[in-house]
Amino acid sequence: MTIEKKNIQLGYVTLTDSLPLIAAQHLGYFAAEGLNVSLSNEPSWANIRDKTVLGELDGAQMLAPMVLASTLGSSGVAVPMLTMFSINLNGNGMTVSNDLWAQLGEVATSPEPLDVARAMANLITRRDRITTLATVFPVSMHSYLLRYFLAAGGLHDWSRVRIVVVPPVRMVSHLKQGHIDGCCVGEPWNTMAELAGVGRPLVTGYEIWQNAPEKVFGVTEAWARSNPETHRAIVRALARSSRWIEENPGDALLMRDRQLQVREGMEPLPNVKWGLDRTHRGAEHFHVFHKYAANFPWRSHARWIFAQMQAWNQIPTDVDPGVVARCYRTDLYREVFAESALPVEDDKPEGVHRAEWNDLGVTLGPDLFLDRQIESK
Amino acid sequence: MLVDDEPARAALLERALTDTGFRVLGRIDPEEDLVAVVSRVQPDVTIVALDSPSRDTLEDMASLSRDNPHPIVMFTAENDVETMRAAMRNGVSAYIVDGLEPGRVRSIVDVAVARFREFQALREELDIARCELEDRRVLERAKRLLMAHRDMTEKQAYEALRKMSMDRSQRIVDVARNVIEIMQLVSGNDD
Repeated sequence: MTIEKKNIQLGYVTLTDSLPLIAAQHLGYFAAEGLNVSLSNEPSWANIRDKTVLGELDGAQMLAPMVLASTLGSSGVAVPMLTMFSINLNGNGMTVSNDLWAQLGEVATSPEPLDVARAMANLITRRDRITTLATVFPVSMHSYLLRYFLAAGGLHDWSRVRIVVVPPVRMVSHLKQGHIDGCCVGEPWNTMAELAGVGRPLVTGYEIWQNAPEKVFGVTEAWARSNPETHRAIVRALARSSRWIEENPGDALLMRDRQLQVREGMEPLPNVKWGLDRTHRGAEHFHVFHKYAANFPWRSHARWIFAQMQAWNQIPTDVDPGVVARCYRTDLYREVFAESALPVEDDKPEGVHRAEWNDLGVTLGPDLFLDRQIESK
Repeated sequence: MLVDDEPARAALLERALTDTGFRVLGRIDPEEDLVAVVSRVQPDVTIVALDSPSRDTLEDMASLSRDNPHPIVMFTAENDVETMRAAMRNGVSAYIVDGLEPGRVRSIVDVAVARFREFQALREELDIARCELEDRRVLERAKRLLMAHRDMTEKQAYEALRKMSMDRSQRIVDVARNVIEIMQLVSGNDD
């Protein structure tokens, strides 16, 4: 089969989890698939979405909820998008200002993240001013995990908290100037805030929902229809680079640091591995790029996201849940990776496994929520 | 209100806007608290550079419409003219000023404002429609509760709600909401 389109533009945002795209480019994996790829560093998620809609980008690193949101038109025009490849699991974290950290006291380092959530909800409720917390985009795992964390901690009076959007590159300065009291952001920005001395990482996304979805490779439905072989070639290269990252973490991190130097003029991060290593809890699973069937677009992930979008009034409650299967194309993934070990189901139970498990024909990671809530299928 | 990370370009655009009769309430430094400034200044239009990360912040504010919804206009360099045209055709996000020609700035901002008003009107209509649906649901639920716990027929339940509404000169849906709350307190559950 020949690819339909050789010259390809792919978009990404400066974050540790854009590594699979960067690595596939640097290691020549795209070229090996016969693709001539240009990577385009985009300043905002809105740009990623709009340029993909307009065809200026063929595809991009996207926040997992973006493909559903774009298909449903929850922010602007409805343009159907889909993903057949999940870029990673986990990867974001919550950082609070030094002030909040001090007010939380000892519980901030408690080994039980639910205790941290309860303390945080309690603090927000009794503080004399409204707490401002930042996320990176209205439809993002960051938004949902942050809200889940607060809700699980028992926050009832949501008027005590104001949730705003701040681009990752601005988190450090906003914390420093006191515009925000905390944030949920992808790496390396939690680490950067800590290194700059303006905040302390409180919990990782992994502690809120173990092995939660994070970024996906997204394209428009129309593009996928016209370029099926090109689409397959891109995700084959991404799967290869994802595996390389997990097998060569040292080299991958050097690549990430070089990228940060070029893009943001930053110094290499001293002794920082995948970020947030200092918090210990769940640090070894901070980024999962390939193992645990990380690249499989689990329907159960999309279903959870869909429920969150409804719960937070981003979409009406009567929207057809068929959008989940339309956007999360397990069928396409199965075609491309037919030779590899594949999960025997498109859904998996979420919130029930506290350790690795093998029931679906592949090794999967734990999937507990911090309040041990079981997500009904 | 002008949001741009490049001061020189922002100054140029500010002059172009001022020359065509707009009043620029402020140029926002990227490190400033955009949410606070926009809430305080309440501009009629916010203009943001396409390459500014602040787009995501503005989009969130616009989608929540909590902070006085207003149009957001994007501008970008000359070489992106095609993108902008396509963006305008598709109604993506907003409307874009191409380059910095003073002559065109006025009309594009005006068009943006007009399109935004249309969109707002449409959205309000949708909200009203959604409200009516929601009202009907509340009413149905109150009726069901009355039927279950007060042994009424559907007709009696409706009459009871209507009578309370007239006696108290409240909207029937508000009465229904009260009834639901009270019934929940009494029976400790939903249905």
